Amino acid sequence: MRATPAGSTGIVTAGALVAFLACGQAARAFTVNITAANPKAIYLQVGVGTFTGGNYNAGGTPGNNTTINTVSVGVPAASVGTGVAQAMTTNSAQAISFYDGFTFCNTPAQLYIGGFYRNTTNTGAATVTATSPANLINGTGDTIPFTQIRWTSSGNGDAGAQPFPAGTFVGGVQTIGTISRNQWAESCHTFSYANTSIRPAGTYTGRVTYTLSSP
Amino acid sequence: MRMALWCVLAPVMLTIVTGAVPATAATFVVDDGASAPQESTALLRWRRFAPSRANDSNTLEGALAVVVRLNLAPWMHRSGRVFLALPEQGTASVRVSWTTQGRLLSGSITPGNRVLVYAGPITTALLEETLTLQIEADGSRLPNMQRLKFHFEIDID
Repeated sequence: MRATPAGSTGIVTAGALVAFLACGQAARAFTVNITAANPKAIYLQVGVGTFTGGNYNAGGTPGNNTTINTVSVGVPAASVGTGVAQAMTTNSAQAISFYDGFTFCNTPAQLYIGGFYRNTTNTGAATVTATSPANLINGTGDTIPFTQIRWTSSGNGDAGAQPFPAGTFVGGVQTIGTISRNQWAESCHTFSYANTSIRPAGTYTGRVTYTLSSP
Repeated sequence: MRMALWCVLAPVMLTIVTGAVPATAATFVVDDGASAPQESTALLRWRRFAPSRANDSNTLEGALAVVVRLNLAPWMHRSGRVFLALPEQGTASVRVSWTTQGRLLSGSITPGNRVLVYAGPITTALLEETLTLQIEADGSRLPNMQRLKFHFEIDID
């Protein structure tokens, strides 16, 4: 073992130091590799969801909830096709945000939509899309275009733009909003049926699937 | 071939230079070539699994033990101060704290700094200690793999 001066007292010293380190540097450092165990994570909740161990700000973690909530409206016969929009309600009881337990949405008028996106590298925002069929359909095959259903967006205590803004279903795939990297985003959607045409009586149903995709 | 020649010459040149260094206040890199992390890679996990609304909770953290073996033979019977140094890494911001079994001091360090781990007389040629590292990194800037290269320095009084 030879002692290696870390400083230099002159040109000769510096030259010797460089030469010595070039040969023996491996013996003079220990290396710790670090890497993220789970560099990417996404979470999307539409309607009810599950968080275990408390809310986010209490260290809770999200769980899987397979519930499919409904949003519906019963249109009185006298109102069918009048063009007066009919407010829809949800069977989701999810009023609080799992972020902090705050009552963010007002049920049953509003449907919670929120989630987060984790990533250690910057490859852009995650995107929430909705896929809706062209029509709602009843038991005898009558249809109502999905474009008859729209929503506004808000959240109790929110003043700025919503991450999942107002829109109308297109009867296909559409972007609902984005979640920036390493952020939590949430909105409350208030749905309505446009009611612009007369339709045969019946129960019309259709399913919208929301998807969160990370780059 | 040229490198090989340097390797032969370097110790000779160093011997000359070392003789020219003043006996006081010299800093040397300590040979810790026998040191070894107990695992090759520290897996860091999000301190908070979910991010915040404000994008301000992106800390990754993890722990790793390292058995360090410092060859202090060249400075036996002298007095000095030993430092753990972490040169600038140039990627994600990192903070490493550690605890010891008592032979060295506990502490914490960020890249570009060195921290005192021992001060006093050098009474053993080989100092062995286990450092339990607690590593925190900025999860918004961590590449797939980052290497933290530590070394020890000694200031001889």
